[in-house]
Amino acid sequence: MRYLTRPLLVRFLGLSSRCVSVGLSQTKTLMLSPKQLSLRQSFSTRAGLVTAVDVVKYWQKVFETNGIPEAQESSEYIVSFVLGAKTLQSLNSKILCAPLTAVQQERIRQLSTKRLQRMPVQYVLGEWDFQDLTLKMRPPVFIPRPETEDLVSLVVEEGSQKCEEKNSGLLYPAAAPHPVILEIGCGSGAIALSLLCKLPQSRVIAVDKEKAAVDLTRENAQRLQLQDRIHILHHDVSSSSAKQLLPWGPVDFIVSNPPYVFYEDMAFLAPEIFRYEDLNALDGGDDGMKVIRTILALAPSLLKDSGSVFLEVDPRHPEMVENWLQTHPNWLLTLCAIHKDFCGKPRFLHIQKQSR
Amino acid sequence: MKPLQSIWHFRSLLTKCCCHGQLHSCPLPSVATKMGYVMGLHNWRPKSLLDTTRVSLTFSSQLRKKHQDSHALWKHEAMQKYLETLRKEYQQVSRLLNAGSINDFEERSLKRRHADLSPVAALFQEIKEAEREVQELEAMCKELDSRDEKQLLELALEEKETLDKKINTLCRKLFQILVPKEKYDGSHVILEVTAGRTTGGDICQQFTKEMFEMYQNYADYKCWTFDILNYTPAEIGGLHHAAAQISGDDVYRHLKYEGGIHRVQRIPETGLSSRMQRIHTGTMSVIVLPQPEEVNIKVDPKDLRIDTFRAKGAGGQHVNKTDSAVRIVHLPTGLTVECQQERSQQMNREIALRTLRAKLYQQIIEKQLSQEQSARKLQLGTRAQSERIRTYNFTQDRVTDHRISYDARNIKEILSGKEALDKLINRLLEFAEVEALTEYLENLQSLERGS
Repeated sequence: MRYLTRPLLVRFLGLSSRCVSVGLSQTKTLMLSPKQLSLRQSFSTRAGLVTAVDVVKYWQKVFETNGIPEAQESSEYIVSFVLGAKTLQSLNSKILCAPLTAVQQERIRQLSTKRLQRMPVQYVLGEWDFQDLTLKMRPPVFIPRPETEDLVSLVVEEGSQKCEEKNSGLLYPAAAPHPVILEIGCGSGAIALSLLCKLPQSRVIAVDKEKAAVDLTRENAQRLQLQDRIHILHHDVSSSSAKQLLPWGPVDFIVSNPPYVFYEDMAFLAPEIFRYEDLNALDGGDDGMKVIRTILALAPSLLKDSGSVFLEVDPRHPEMVENWLQTHPNWLLTLCAIHKDFCGKPRFLHIQKQSR
Repeated sequence: MKPLQSIWHFRSLLTKCCCHGQLHSCPLPSVATKMGYVMGLHNWRPKSLLDTTRVSLTFSSQLRKKHQDSHALWKHEAMQKYLETLRKEYQQVSRLLNAGSINDFEERSLKRRHADLSPVAALFQEIKEAEREVQELEAMCKELDSRDEKQLLELALEEKETLDKKINTLCRKLFQILVPKEKYDGSHVILEVTAGRTTGGDICQQFTKEMFEMYQNYADYKCWTFDILNYTPAEIGGLHHAAAQISGDDVYRHLKYEGGIHRVQRIPETGLSSRMQRIHTGTMSVIVLPQPEEVNIKVDPKDLRIDTFRAKGAGGQHVNKTDSAVRIVHLPTGLTVECQQERSQQMNREIALRTLRAKLYQQIIEKQLSQEQSARKLQLGTRAQSERIRTYNFTQDRVTDHRISYDARNIKEILSGKEALDKLINRLLEFAEVEALTEYLENLQSLERGS
């Protein structure tokens, strides 16, 4: 058992007894306290008729009372979802002011109960959006973060340019611009499937060491009818054999959002993350570089000449990666760009393999 | 019913003969003087309007005071002289082309001019012929009347009426060709509604909700797409403000005169104000922004401050937040746009950026338009003006558009956003066409006077 440091141990015990330990007192079966019941009554202005707006306000109050973060957002997403929409802002006034059926109210209550257990909203709803795709979400498979949307945009930009280069270059008349992309640690399939959608000529090999992730990626691929262009492999890249990663020969791009959290930071992850997500998808070892190093070591044998690696990392990593690459000059990998995320933090690395 | 009735009977015909989109260059002679040189007529100018200066001084004020009638505009001396010029020019161009003693470049310009002028000349001819027929019929009617031939007289009158209608149709058709096409007519739009302030009650907010739905239904009726960008209900019920992107054919052309303050007068049925049974007044504002093509507006990322929720510290994998709301501030102008329509932050960012570009584009348009100093009654509703453009009176079941002094009945029909609203909007469009043409002729005259 890895996590034996005190703060982590406390958290771990909290997880196993399935109790809401942060903040307030609640029974296991989560009976509504008198406070919560009176709140419910105050929102039913007409006899038994509750509108969407009423219910959002009600559950927001309940979440706030129980110290659930993003109380308003959580409530809005849950209610919208039950009404068949993604956000409250996309619902028209008729639906917002129409009374909710008992079935709808019950469904909202069920989902909100899960949220009260600090389950992330994405798992509560069982789905979430990544760019313009809606993907199924399931614990403990890692939930895509908003920053990663920009990683995909970066790769798409590179991918489109590369095609143009090939078209204009007379050296490769026969080669059609069909980029082959390898994703290491595909999770729910967000990066892989987004790339397939945005680069219609591409093919992807998606790899994850967790069976649950492989299954979920497969499910999402099928829902989006992309299964013919993606190879999904259950494989641990830190194991020796890398041959099965090359069904289509050397790849144009390697993309990854590898676990990059520093071990010491794991203890401070929010309960939503710590209790529900696969911690192996987060833990990058002492310096957060464990998996990054593995990928970079593999890259030379997997990449075509002038091929690129795109990584999402911790803001402290760019310098560390540069140093690491310099200690392995035989890999012929150079850090050619560091891109910032929407918070202005150095987040995305573009590493290129030099041609011999 | 107001005197524009004669035109309204065949509005449906007019919508089918939509020639305004076909001509990219206006047949009005911006290149007329150039053409004079090409044809070797160095002193040739569209002189006709110079002779009518005395008449033209009161031209505009006369027409503006009366109801704007297509046929009346046609009959006006200034218009007649002007059309006569165009017809003569057409004849000259045709003669030159047939003669064949011109070089390639001249031939191309002449051919283009010929193509522009031929529908004008053809319609001019048709209308003149129709008018002659009407004159004959009138003479016939007088005779039949004196002979007391009731049945034949009736038939003759019927035919005269049909001919009158035909003339009006043709006039309208002619003007649609002559009117310079507005730059942004074909654009998609962003429509914004905002409830006005009241001292109490929710009348403004309820009305705003109804108006937003009216435009949503109208978009459906016209087969446009209606994508809600922003929908903020009011605490007390109803709608506080909302925005939608409307895409389709000629959306801006139809909706551009919807911008402004709309006023409501009603006795509220429900809510806090209903007990008093007094007539309440409320307002809401509509802003219509033409949405630019992607290439037109370049926004420098350095000029933008994009606000999103994001945790302090490392971010990324360390945090799982679902708040995807985005606010973009354009630093040089201070314009702010917000969006939380989608669950994906990137999608919200893209929508906000699109809206921002539209607003910046709008500022540029406003600048251009204000520089033109239009004296027109129908102003484009680009920003919230203080003038009330329309009143919806529920107690009297009447909608009045103050700019064209037009009353329509059956508020419910209009709010359902179908034929009744379309009828009202087309009235506005015709009014605008006549105004535009009048203004164009005036400008031409002042140019002539000046030169």
